[in-house]
Amino acid sequence: MTQNTVKTFLYLRPCTWDWLLLMALTLMILMVAETGLGGRYIVGLLIVSMLVKTQIVADYFMGLKRVRLRWRLIVSGYLLVVMSMIGLAYKLSLS
Amino acid sequence: MNDAAIDDVSLKEKYPPGDLAIWVFIYAEFLAFGIFFLAYAFARSYNVELFNASQLHLDKRAGALNTLILITGSYFVVRAVAAIRVNQSRACVNWLLAAIFSGGLFLIVKIFEFHGEYVQGYSLSSNLFYTFYFSMTVFHFMHVILGMVILTAVMFKARRGGYSAEDHRGVETGASYWHMVDMVWIILFPLVYVIH
Repeated sequence: MTQNTVKTFLYLRPCTWDWLLLMALTLMILMVAETGLGGRYIVGLLIVSMLVKTQIVADYFMGLKRVRLRWRLIVSGYLLVVMSMIGLAYKLSLS
Repeated sequence: MNDAAIDDVSLKEKYPPGDLAIWVFIYAEFLAFGIFFLAYAFARSYNVELFNASQLHLDKRAGALNTLILITGSYFVVRAVAAIRVNQSRACVNWLLAAIFSGGLFLIVKIFEFHGEYVQGYSLSSNLFYTFYFSMTVFHFMHVILGMVILTAVMFKARRGGYSAEDHRGVETGASYWHMVDMVWIILFPLVYVIH
């Protein structure tokens, strides 16, 4: 790979990097599903990955990062509450 | 705008992209799906064995494939908005067509999945897990169809030259709705197909 090719690759649009990250996180979730892993830490990992993925979509795809905080807080707060409650429900089932 | 500029409060836009009305609708949809997600998670905590056994019959690869398809569709919509912001109507139309195609692909994969489950004898009334599974996925399926209808209407208007760099609120409105549909599936897939 020439230096120019490397430069071109690294200068992908930010939204393309976001898309690649979302794809990678989805493939990680599929790997967890295929191996059948479960338990407290795996559930925690999956919930965090769901939170990261949805926040990327909200901030960079929906464009809420460029908008006044109150609009972003509604979505981020919603995601945090829903994920925390899901985590709580799974903690209840594991205990 | 770089990250430092984005974090500068004085440069932040007052309202989210698109019509304000769509955001009221989006928040209402988040609320409806949020109730579904929490009802599922807490119902599961009282029926762990039933939910874990039923979950094993789901096609996880199809679920993951559909996640990849929707994420890619969302990316196409981002590119459509970026194109119209620099007055590239033709590129905007092409990206929207790609997003609509990805929505169609999602529906096809999901129909095959529903058919497989029907052939195996699973339905809404099989057990509590399947009641949740079919309710949530069919509800989401209908949202994908609505999203495709909205994007198609936006695409036709863009093709007629109805949007420009100065006026493209309609494109942003359709895009915001489509991202909401994507976000819901991003939660739904691990929650229902994977976590046990």
